[in-house]
Amino acid sequence: MCIYEDQIGKFDWRQTYVGRIKFAQFDTVSTAKKIIVATEENVLAALNLKTGQVMWRHVFESASSGDIQLLHFSDGDKVTTVTGSNPYLVRGWDPTTGVLLWEWPISIIDTERAHLSEWWVQNGMLVHLLPAFGSHLEVTMYNLMTGSNRGATSKLPTVWTNDGCILTPPYYTCISGNMGNYMLLSLDVTSNAVQIISKPLSNYFSEGEVIEGNLRPLDGKTSQPGFIIDDKAILLIKNNEFEPLNVRLADQSASATFIDAISGPMLVQAWSDENKGLSITAYNIATNTEITDMQMSGPKINIPEAELLGVLCINTAREQPAYRILLNGADDAVHLLQQGGRVVWSREESLANIVAAEFVDLPVSETDAALESEFDQKEAIKVYSSVWAAFVRRLHTQYQQLHTLIQNLQGEGAVLDTPSPLVRDYFNLHKIIVLITDVGKIYGMDNLSGEILWQRYDGNLNTESVVMFTRRSARHPPHDAYVTIIGKHEETGNGYVISLNPIRGTLVGERVLRLDVRLLQVALLHTVDAEKLHALILLDEDETVQVLPVSAAPLVRDLYMYVADRETGRMQGYALKYDGRQVIAQRTWSLNLGGAGARIVTIAGKSRTERVHSAGKPLADRSVLYKYSNPNLLLVVLERPDPTHKDVVTAVAVDAACGAVVAASTHRRARALPLAVHSDNCLAYLYRSDKHRRLEIATMELYEGNERWLPAGTQFSSFGCARAPSVERQAYIVPASLTALAFTSTEKAITDTHLLMGLSTGMLMELPWAYVDPRRPMTLSGEPREEGLIPYAPELPLPAEASLNYNRTVQRVRAIYAAPSGLESTSLVLATGLDLFYTRVAPSKTFDLLKDDFDYHLISIVLAALIVATYSTKYFASRKMLKQAWK
Amino acid sequence: MSQIKSNKKLKWSLDFNSKSRSQTAEIPSPPGYSQSANANYTESSKDSDSQLLLIKKLWDVALAPLKQVPMNMFIMYMAGNSISLFPIMMVGMLIIRPTKALFSTQSTFQMVEGTQAVGQKFVYMIGNVVNILLALYKFQSMGLLPTHSSDWLAFEEPLTRMEHIGGGLSML
Repeated sequence: MCIYEDQIGKFDWRQTYVGRIKFAQFDTVSTAKKIIVATEENVLAALNLKTGQVMWRHVFESASSGDIQLLHFSDGDKVTTVTGSNPYLVRGWDPTTGVLLWEWPISIIDTERAHLSEWWVQNGMLVHLLPAFGSHLEVTMYNLMTGSNRGATSKLPTVWTNDGCILTPPYYTCISGNMGNYMLLSLDVTSNAVQIISKPLSNYFSEGEVIEGNLRPLDGKTSQPGFIIDDKAILLIKNNEFEPLNVRLADQSASATFIDAISGPMLVQAWSDENKGLSITAYNIATNTEITDMQMSGPKINIPEAELLGVLCINTAREQPAYRILLNGADDAVHLLQQGGRVVWSREESLANIVAAEFVDLPVSETDAALESEFDQKEAIKVYSSVWAAFVRRLHTQYQQLHTLIQNLQGEGAVLDTPSPLVRDYFNLHKIIVLITDVGKIYGMDNLSGEILWQRYDGNLNTESVVMFTRRSARHPPHDAYVTIIGKHEETGNGYVISLNPIRGTLVGERVLRLDVRLLQVALLHTVDAEKLHALILLDEDETVQVLPVSAAPLVRDLYMYVADRETGRMQGYALKYDGRQVIAQRTWSLNLGGAGARIVTIAGKSRTERVHSAGKPLADRSVLYKYSNPNLLLVVLERPDPTHKDVVTAVAVDAACGAVVAASTHRRARALPLAVHSDNCLAYLYRSDKHRRLEIATMELYEGNERWLPAGTQFSSFGCARAPSVERQAYIVPASLTALAFTSTEKAITDTHLLMGLSTGMLMELPWAYVDPRRPMTLSGEPREEGLIPYAPELPLPAEASLNYNRTVQRVRAIYAAPSGLESTSLVLATGLDLFYTRVAPSKTFDLLKDDFDYHLISIVLAALIVATYSTKYFASRKMLKQAWK
Repeated sequence: MSQIKSNKKLKWSLDFNSKSRSQTAEIPSPPGYSQSANANYTESSKDSDSQLLLIKKLWDVALAPLKQVPMNMFIMYMAGNSISLFPIMMVGMLIIRPTKALFSTQSTFQMVEGTQAVGQKFVYMIGNVVNILLALYKFQSMGLLPTHSSDWLAFEEPLTRMEHIGGGLSML
């Protein structure tokens, strides 16, 4: 569990993210130039302007109390934020270190309208504006540092306001009136004298243009108040007058901002087009000229729905000013561009919201593939007609192997610089992690370095209930690996299927498939077709079945599906059969678990790749306690409001093939957490006990008893036996608040399983199952002691040395994914949340691997010395014998 | 050097050949000594004596394993049932020695021909077998014999599954 200091970063890496950027401000005054950002994930951070790395970061509450309403930063000043939602917190931060300087709260009495509040900073005062549409505006000013109110709240009568009004500090602008004779009204809310600017809207449009009257403010931090009408005309407010610009918005979706450059005020626009890529234009207002060196367009950079976060104009020693453009995409990626369109850096902020992850094996190298095909019996019969052909091939491959060996030896120095090729290593520790993010961006990540190998954004993918299947691993050359992602279409809600090659990120097979029905559930067929591909079984809304590819339909046999409804707690089982023409889903069982009003909190099934090679546990008297390892078992955790016990948590182990309830337990006065794990015969789930106000983990283990029910090596059938397993149960107190729970997973499940827990403090804990084992005895004597069971203690130990991520805090851990490696001892672990953390764990220590600091030199020297000593003594001994014989 | 060595050798060597033949001439027997009678007696007694001695000696050999049994039992008792290096070595020796002895029975009783050879061999083997059984009992009580189902657990084939499942929470 623990690692040595020199092992830091050897097997693990952490990537820190901030989330989709909401506000950004450039800080060019400090010695280290940076961008201060506030994000949708309620994070305040400073990014290095040159590299894009996080310099400091503050993670606020993820609930609405952490919402960032305002980020204000002007050069030489402190960073000010307004966070929360009534009461609000105003805080000041030091821009270089991120240290909190001041903090004071504001609470608004009118709670119903509090969410309409607008904030900005003007002349060292924090201005709060609360509109009452159609009636008045309430403006209050506070001292930024102390929060002292300058005077009473001033109420400005404005009957012309509506919910389409926008604020471009300090002006509050509305379009009022009826269709056809719109009036554009604007008011400086901070000035002492109420001066309403009022102009008919048609002044700014040519004759015959249809005016819809939509207002939109300019993006980013503009140097002058301005807004866009109907995505066409751009108006600025100067000296209490509207000033229409000669340029119109270049594109409907264009994002525009207004900056003060050296040459004069400048309007920068950016928009992206699916075919043409990103375009940026800049227009000098003072001289009415296009600034050509800012202009760029081309399909080189593709940022979907680009949005300007800010433009920075730096004075350089040379004549030409340097520009930095910060762009946000619909895929949550943020890019910093130079003029000319060169990307300085990009941050993939969507990785702060990962919804699914899967470890995919890499293909074997070409020489290994040749070797494998040579020894593949079926292949061999096809290729070689005679022994001689086989012999020639053997010689050829051996020559190739020798060749690569020599090449490796020669180019050892050069190889180190180039990235390692994407081939499987000997222990299968090198894999690709396919990640699906909330916005619909899919990434392929190298698990050893954390480097993003490929990415694909699909705006149509709704990842609300996305699932991912590895339909073909890379073990079957010449076929490539094949991963399918099934989600919903963003607009229609119909099934949306993306098939990719996880190694390269290219679309394969069915590519992108838009189904014309909504999906109920999907399953993967257990048998493979001629191309070693697992078919996809799609169960529609109206319970008809589609098989992808269609040719695999006759293979459907012994397949059962279940669909659970979260809100009603109903579960429905289906048996899938091929009736000669098509696959039909037959309703077989139906369960209404947890009673009336129950809702399913979570369902934990076994991992698809799980293979258990240990049939039972040896006891102290050397008999075996056989496990009940039903591969079709599910753990369903439900929650139900109860008149006497407030809430009741029910956990049920259900056989999904036949619908039989195998075990169940209830906890009164408790709330369930969506954290449940299930592997082999072990089940664990968490709930919050309202009675004791603490978090508890309940565990169950299922056993057949001292006799096997079925002889070893036979087939297990859910319908075959009517016997109920014996259930061991126990509950423990968890002295921490958990946000993620997972089991380690190894290739053959011979190694111990450990629980991996993500704590709200940002720690990842590894807890041996022995501590939550339901068989922990109350008293320690006799057999349990000999077996090595730990006596029962209600509170679980969470020592600091059980932490996987030592001092590398992982903020807001949302899920932990574990995958087996080629080594039985080792499990690969990825924790996702706001940050990503990858490491590998060895639950039973690395019994099949030499220690990391194993002294290869010493052992080879000793071995060589021993060999030399043996031969030399042999020589000397024979010489002595000869001499003696002569005497 | 060889000269000195040879001289040294000469100093300690007795040369019987250098003695003259005259010295070995007949010397009259002491009085009361009857050469014939004596010769007869010695002949017979020597023969039966050595035979008896040999049988006795061989019985000793044959009974040795059986005599070791109490000693072995004591050693086993002292060794205890814990599995650590010394008890293992002791018990290992206990089983290896009689097994080796069993295999070398033929060579042990090579020089014996006679009436009791079969019996001796039988007793010897019985003794060793008793020792082996004793050692096996010790192994058993130490838990080193793979006689329980838990010892063969690792070799049991895992169950294969007949039904396969898929599904989850409704995606609607």
